[in-house]
Amino acid sequence: MIMERVPNPLVGQLANDLAPVRTLKLRDGLALAVLALVGTVLLVQLVEGLWMTGVYGHASPFFYIGNGLLLASGAAAAVAVVSMASPRVGNRYEGPKWAMATAAVLPVAALVTLLAQPGGPAAYHDEHGIYCLVAGLVCSLLVTGALVHWLRRGAPVSISTAGLLTGVAATALGSAAYGLSCPIDDVMHIGLWHAAPVLVGAIAGRFLLPPLLKW
Amino acid sequence: MIADEPTLARLMAASQQGDKQAYTVLLTEVQLWLERYFRRRCAPAMLDDLVQEVMLAVHRKRASWDASRPFLPWLAAIARYRWVDHLRKVYRTEEDALEDHDAAEDSGEDALLARLSLERMFVQIPSKQSEAIELVKIEGLSIAEAAERSGQSESAVKVNIHRGLKKLAALVEKAE
Repeated sequence: MIMERVPNPLVGQLANDLAPVRTLKLRDGLALAVLALVGTVLLVQLVEGLWMTGVYGHASPFFYIGNGLLLASGAAAAVAVVSMASPRVGNRYEGPKWAMATAAVLPVAALVTLLAQPGGPAAYHDEHGIYCLVAGLVCSLLVTGALVHWLRRGAPVSISTAGLLTGVAATALGSAAYGLSCPIDDVMHIGLWHAAPVLVGAIAGRFLLPPLLKW
Repeated sequence: MIADEPTLARLMAASQQGDKQAYTVLLTEVQLWLERYFRRRCAPAMLDDLVQEVMLAVHRKRASWDASRPFLPWLAAIARYRWVDHLRKVYRTEEDALEDHDAAEDSGEDALLARLSLERMFVQIPSKQSEAIELVKIEGLSIAEAAERSGQSESAVKVNIHRGLKKLAALVEKAE
């Protein structure tokens, strides 16, 4: 016996409501993130002024290694976040984990140096540290806004991971952008105070962003 | 019979351009696919609601499908996301005992469907957690009944549901 299916009225309603849509393209999301990063660098230039010694290549190697690692891990996380807006069973987000593990070399090196120095951690004092931490976080706001906007346009289904990676991407890129203005180029300052925003961003992103990303 | 992946992808691409006829066919096919997809992992009385919920999500989020990628893994990700959300919301309903459907075996489930299936998610969480979720959230037993049936304490059932749902939410895009 063949059973007749009752037509679902929802199908007709949704079809009537149909309008053409502009599909989410990975390159558009990446362009948005790059635009936010460029905007952040311009704001840093306006407010703080870029450290020209570093820009012209005369800073210590730690300046380039530190900011380069932040940039690379931020970029890896940002690419993952942008692709999360288009969900798919089979998506994998391994890249940012390895990028973050690589970037973790920086604070580990700073901690080892801190512990090995005469007098140990007790002798360490960095009066600019907190300022750089806060500045790195403030500089992450534009990229955070861009990535959250992109995710809300899309359909992220791994909400906690999306929040975590958004926090990491925004703070790593924000801290790298701010880092272009910071003239303190020793390993302990960069490894501790310029990397710290990423840890704060990861925790904040994991716990504060999911309510904004749920749909 | 449900349309194949290339046909569904073609219909979805046309729908994104605003083709209402293609969209009607697509949604009808999607409805059939979802009914089959959820049948073994959803209480029968809740099946229609869940399918409609996913269809609305497909409509709202249709811009998030990238035409250069397959359609079904995208649909499955949305379906899994809504399913986990649905399990979180489900409260006990007495008539919701799960019947023994075997549609997947009947239809000769293909490799793609197997890869996308909800079973794949369940086997990746500890058996005590999947058992607790199945008894309470799908079969509709109370915590006390589930504890008695499974041999777990009541608090263990609650903890296993909570942890299991958290793990399922993290597995939505996992294919292995």
